[in-house]
Amino acid sequence: MTPVLVMLLKTLLIFGGVITLAAGMTLAERKVSAWIQWRIGPNRVGPWGTLQPLADGVKFVFKEELIPDGANPLLFRLAPMLAAGPAMMAIAVIPFAGEITLLGQPTTLSIADFPLSALYVVAVSGLGVYGVILGGWSSNSKYSLLGGLRASAQMVSYELALILALLSVVVMSGSLDLRKIVEAQAGGLLQWNLWRQPLAFLLFLLATFAETNRHPFDFAECEPELVGGFHTEYSSMKFALFFIGEYVAMIVMASMTATLFLGGPEVPYWPAAPWFVQLATFLLKTGFFLFLFLWVRWTLPRFRFDQLMGLGWKVMLPLALLNVFVTGLVISLF
Amino acid sequence: MVIVKRKQLSLAERLYLPEVVRALSITLRVIFKKKVTRQYPEERMVTTAVTRGQPRLVLLDDNKSLACVSCGLCEAACPAYAITIDGEETERFIEREPKRFEIDMLRCILCGFCEEACPKDAIFMSDELELADFSRQALIYDIDKLKRPRAALQKRIDYFYGINDRWRKRSSTS
Repeated sequence: MTPVLVMLLKTLLIFGGVITLAAGMTLAERKVSAWIQWRIGPNRVGPWGTLQPLADGVKFVFKEELIPDGANPLLFRLAPMLAAGPAMMAIAVIPFAGEITLLGQPTTLSIADFPLSALYVVAVSGLGVYGVILGGWSSNSKYSLLGGLRASAQMVSYELALILALLSVVVMSGSLDLRKIVEAQAGGLLQWNLWRQPLAFLLFLLATFAETNRHPFDFAECEPELVGGFHTEYSSMKFALFFIGEYVAMIVMASMTATLFLGGPEVPYWPAAPWFVQLATFLLKTGFFLFLFLWVRWTLPRFRFDQLMGLGWKVMLPLALLNVFVTGLVISLF
Repeated sequence: MVIVKRKQLSLAERLYLPEVVRALSITLRVIFKKKVTRQYPEERMVTTAVTRGQPRLVLLDDNKSLACVSCGLCEAACPAYAITIDGEETERFIEREPKRFEIDMLRCILCGFCEEACPKDAIFMSDELELADFSRQALIYDIDKLKRPRAALQKRIDYFYGINDRWRKRSSTS
């Protein structure tokens, strides 16, 4: 009985924590955008505006829900769940910290540990594209359809570079288990994959921006051309689900970057650190990449669509392939 | 015909990433800059004598009767047709005063022409800028809402006399 309880407790804690973090990200997005534009940002709801996400949530719940004429009623309802679900599923394998004792049982602070966890993240987060394209198609609106098409084209083409960059890390540590990848980076700062695979790091980082449809690759939304992109016709909590999905995907991608290249929960020069220090380290590393998402969004203008595709197929894919090849060659030779 | 000469990009610029890092460093520095937001209901706008707010009517020193003699010059000068005046005669030394003096604040564009047109220095642009109500009718201000003691407008009056000093001849009522 206890293992099941421990599992439930872990799921509840991690899931709740990530959803709270996603809500915090919506506030952080507005705060950072304000700071970069010399403004203050939301500061009326609660101290420093910290309760703003709560107010937003209440607003979303009470908004009128519209389903456009001619929309496919089943798929229209299904799409937001398909967009948010896979992103949340990917949380399951992320190693937030090492050993921890829950209800008297030693366990690790991640919902599931299994040998193919890196593959699982890639597989599950790849499903997110279904929500986007179904949302775009089922709305019966040209803007939504174009937005959905663009988003899926972009996600599919950047996923290749993402996976190949991940592959060179996997080749380095010889395992698809995220725990093993973290262990391989234990020790000092110089053990991080960031220094051993700088090109893969760069490619992975760029691909995460494209995967989560963030600036400067946010062609899914692209307000001036496509109104709101694939979620133009959505309102109320359905729209909020797309939003939550996007932010959770950002959190997943940021924590994946931290895990693969910055050693995840591993504390540099302190191998026996207690779990809360590891968790804090992990959150710090993830937090930096989350901030980078916002920081880049308010710095760079959007690409042109053909530039985006050119970058993905003609630059990033060959570089990633080359990187995997050279990594494999070096590993097999030495 | 305009020939646009494209700047030849250096290698670093064509690689794009160094420029991205430069842009990021600029936005990072901006985060710590002093914020320009004015927290409106708590922090009011600083007004000076130059501020052209809503026009107000000056009361004479007895604080009861208006300096206005309802000549209608402001009504004629108003480019937005915001002013409506009906005059009447009185028993006091200045023989005329407005029976009705209304400014439609929804039409008023705060241009200050009424202030310039007035031969009796009876209307001045105050520093009052806030305008909100629940109906259009409530925003057509009558004499009761427009009249102000001279002291309330003194800053503006002094400023106005200052810039018009060269050709101003003090009117008999001021």
